[in-house]
Amino acid sequence: MKYVARLLCLIVTLSFAATAVAEQSQELFNFESEQQRRIYAQLTAELRCPQCQNQNIADSNAVVAVDMREKTHELVLQGYNRQQVLDYMIDRYGNFVHYQPPVNSVTIWLWLLPVLMLVALFLFQLRRRRNVDEDDSTSSEVLSETATKAAQQKALLSNELDHIIERYRSKKL
Amino acid sequence: MRKTLFYVPLVLFLGLSLFLLSGLFSDPRERDAVMVGKPLPAFSLPDLMNPEQVWSPETLKGEAFLLNVWGIWCPTCNAELGYMSQLRNEQGVRIIGLYYVLPEDPMFGEVFDLAKLQVDVQSRLQAFGDPYQFNILDRQRRLSMDLGVSGAPEHFIVDAKGIVRAHHIGDINPQVWRAKLAPIYQQWAGKP
Amino acid sequence: MIPELGQLALTFALAFSIILAIVPLMGSFTANERALLVAKPLAMGMFVFTLLAFCALSWAFYHDDFTVLNVANNSSSVLPWYFKLTAVWGSHEGSMLMWVMILAAWTALVGQYSKGLPLLMQGRILGVMGLINIGFIAFSLFMSNPFERTLPFFPVEGSDLNPLLQDYGMIIHPPLLYMGYVGFAVSFAFAIAALIGGKFDSTWARWARPWTLAAWLFLTLGIMLGSWWAYKELGWGGWWFWDPVENASFMPWLVGTALIHSLAVTEKRGTFKSWTVLLALGAFSLSLLGAFLVRSGVLVSVHSFAADPERGVFLLIFLLIVIGGSLLLYASRMHSVRSQARYEIFSREVMLWGNNVFLLTATLVVLLGTLFPLVHKELGLGSISIGEPFFNQMFYYLNIPFALLLGLGPWVRWKQQKAAPLLKPMALIAVFSLILALGTMAATQTVAANLALLGLLLGAWVGVSAIMEVYQRLQQFGSITQGVAKLQASHYGMTIAHIGFAVMIVGIAMTLTYSEERDVRMEIGDRVVLAGYEFELQDVYKLNGPNYGGEAAEIDVRRVDGRYVTHLHAEKREYTIQRMVMTEAAIHARLSRDLYVSLGEALPGNAWAIRVYVKPFVRWIWLGGLLMSLGALIALLDKRYRRKTTTGGAAYA
Repeated sequence: MKYVARLLCLIVTLSFAATAVAEQSQELFNFESEQQRRIYAQLTAELRCPQCQNQNIADSNAVVAVDMREKTHELVLQGYNRQQVLDYMIDRYGNFVHYQPPVNSVTIWLWLLPVLMLVALFLFQLRRRRNVDEDDSTSSEVLSETATKAAQQKALLSNELDHIIERYRSKKL
Repeated sequence: MRKTLFYVPLVLFLGLSLFLLSGLFSDPRERDAVMVGKPLPAFSLPDLMNPEQVWSPETLKGEAFLLNVWGIWCPTCNAELGYMSQLRNEQGVRIIGLYYVLPEDPMFGEVFDLAKLQVDVQSRLQAFGDPYQFNILDRQRRLSMDLGVSGAPEHFIVDAKGIVRAHHIGDINPQVWRAKLAPIYQQWAGKP
Repeated sequence: MIPELGQLALTFALAFSIILAIVPLMGSFTANERALLVAKPLAMGMFVFTLLAFCALSWAFYHDDFTVLNVANNSSSVLPWYFKLTAVWGSHEGSMLMWVMILAAWTALVGQYSKGLPLLMQGRILGVMGLINIGFIAFSLFMSNPFERTLPFFPVEGSDLNPLLQDYGMIIHPPLLYMGYVGFAVSFAFAIAALIGGKFDSTWARWARPWTLAAWLFLTLGIMLGSWWAYKELGWGGWWFWDPVENASFMPWLVGTALIHSLAVTEKRGTFKSWTVLLALGAFSLSLLGAFLVRSGVLVSVHSFAADPERGVFLLIFLLIVIGGSLLLYASRMHSVRSQARYEIFSREVMLWGNNVFLLTATLVVLLGTLFPLVHKELGLGSISIGEPFFNQMFYYLNIPFALLLGLGPWVRWKQQKAAPLLKPMALIAVFSLILALGTMAATQTVAANLALLGLLLGAWVGVSAIMEVYQRLQQFGSITQGVAKLQASHYGMTIAHIGFAVMIVGIAMTLTYSEERDVRMEIGDRVVLAGYEFELQDVYKLNGPNYGGEAAEIDVRRVDGRYVTHLHAEKREYTIQRMVMTEAAIHARLSRDLYVSLGEALPGNAWAIRVYVKPFVRWIWLGGLLMSLGALIALLDKRYRRKTTTGGAAYA
């Protein structure tokens, strides 16, 4: 009797387990930890499909992208860290395959140039303001007096021309 | 000083346009051939027609050869079979095929069938020309990945010691062969 | 016959553009009034003829005239009629014709709405627009003729429109985007006219402002729509890919944004003159560079048109003439112009300068990231790729000071601002934003120190500051109710656009941090649980569309506690003519999150690969973009821009 009850119990749990398995869908890629899942997601987003126009391997269905996804998964499960997987791929497909360029004496300008420009533009404004402060409005005008005079004359002339034409037009209409 | 500052944008733009001009005449998808100078990766794969025969880097050594990654599913590969047969027959180029198997699509009930593949390959080679000494079957595309292959057709020139000397992505036509691959092949094959 | 008429119309348009480029410009130097007056009708004529050409091509598409090569390559008889019409701009040739038509439309609009401008200025602006038109019409006519025939052997069926483009987004995304790109040609023409004339007063800035705002409004809408379209159409749940083509639209946007702010300084304070002119030239130059990148094939992109070096060379020469010429003119003319305005280090001027510096640095980052691989390779250093990791890193660091500055900027007065009076409101804003950010986080996720918290803090800082600034402004009018009517429309516009930016940062930070996705294998009846939602695959069946087959999946979504949420319908279409597979993702959108399901390939054993995403706050990204556009629209309605300046303009200076 006891055995029967136990057997029944077993059958019931087994069948429950079976239905649970059938209902809960399987992941295409299984991971042992959230950490692995994160690394995998990160890697497939920053590895570039070498055959496609411009897609990462997560978004591409090209054969080589599928193979690279599977390889990445395999390596991540084997305990490779992010850098090791990247090295594995770069060894085979070159730097082209990683969306983050390697840092060398040339690519360093990718980071340096924006910083330099940021600093230069702020310094420019500081200097410019100091210039304005130092030379009074008169002296700055003296410096380029001839230039401004010529420009003023020209402006006056064109203004006059505008005026005449404008009057003429309004009369005509 | 102030005056020259205003010319900076113009100079920058002109510099950039030089690169744009040269960029117009090169292929933006071209990758570096990272395999060049390295020995063939380790592998042990069966012959396509005669699966008992297993190929490895050791068994390929001794004579330089052109390794051609291809598949009958790839129209460009079929198209170049003729010219490559010519290379084999007229110039004595040793060409070995690396057969790149596409994954099967279960939607159409496809399963891998070696016997059928052998028949298909045989008839294709009869129709277009057979440049191959033999074909290596890369069913899982593992060797292809180790070689940095992204599709078919791709070509490698491997010297007698098993070192990769060139990697060409795309088809071989008379122009590509003469301009790019023939000099390298002749250098390592030691033939005129 | 009709296509030939279209070609003829385009040829006429070319003739008009040539006359437009020569006569009024010459007239402006010889003070020939008749020559100047002819600009407006010429601009109108040019527009009418490009419109006729465009209609002719549309007619060919609508009637499946496969004797026209462009129609045969990009349409088919089974395509629904509305997609036949949008297929007009689905190819390089057709989209170029649309570009030309829109450029001519802007030219005609400038002619129509420039009554307030002095005639001399008007003639010069239209003349410059004519010059630009020549280049593009000639390119369309000689290098990428959309009316080319396939005769005598024409196909009975076309090869269909690229399935990616068979979507409602396609109907308005490219027109809006082009309206934006090409709209900057107007600011460009204003700048060139000012350079020729040598007059850079605040009236110049006031005239240029509404046109710049209008172009920016369209560009913003175009980019947002493109992002939303990619999100729903590509099936990867991404909304920005840092693809060269996206970058090509982002760069003029960034410089255009800087221009709007810099124009404000030039209009209100008469300073930053040479800088503003440079930005006006830069915005359009980057639009042109973008057109070059997309159409020449120098870069690889998912979106680019088929490559053709010959076209590239033509466009590059055109770029050299237009950009190189304008920069040369700038360098030779601008160095004699000095700004006189004086301001302290803590002033609105410097705040806006800061805005410009960050926007320009961001532009440089995008430019470098887009073109550096090309430079690297041409220098013989090998191929590299630059993508998301690089851009995300750079924009992360740029955005923090930018947003902090944005919260402070609107409070700062012109000329000089004492720090003390701002301490109290700033502290208040800081406290408010802290509460708001932590509150939002606690309500939707768990509180943690991460990117999302940073985004929420910055967003709240910008948003709260914008709202409180308006409140404070209104109070200054005496009473709030009086103030509401008195405050300028452009001020409301600015506030709304800034709030839009805040909303967008929150959206981006939350989506990046809390998005979850699963790739699962599902049979019918299977379930997957993600972020508190349970997705159950109900059914999969065959599809039968007009020009596609494929499969559709029906999915029920419940909360984990069993509450029913929604029903989703995802499709995987196989377009029969182009043999291309497209995913039509199923999306359930709410302000707080999107549920996103895309159906993948069939797997062995009557199962399917299905990708499920939960993306919190992703809507906020586009909502932010919409608010920015709304802000621009409201600013455009400001009465100041519609004041008749005929007398004012002439009397000035």
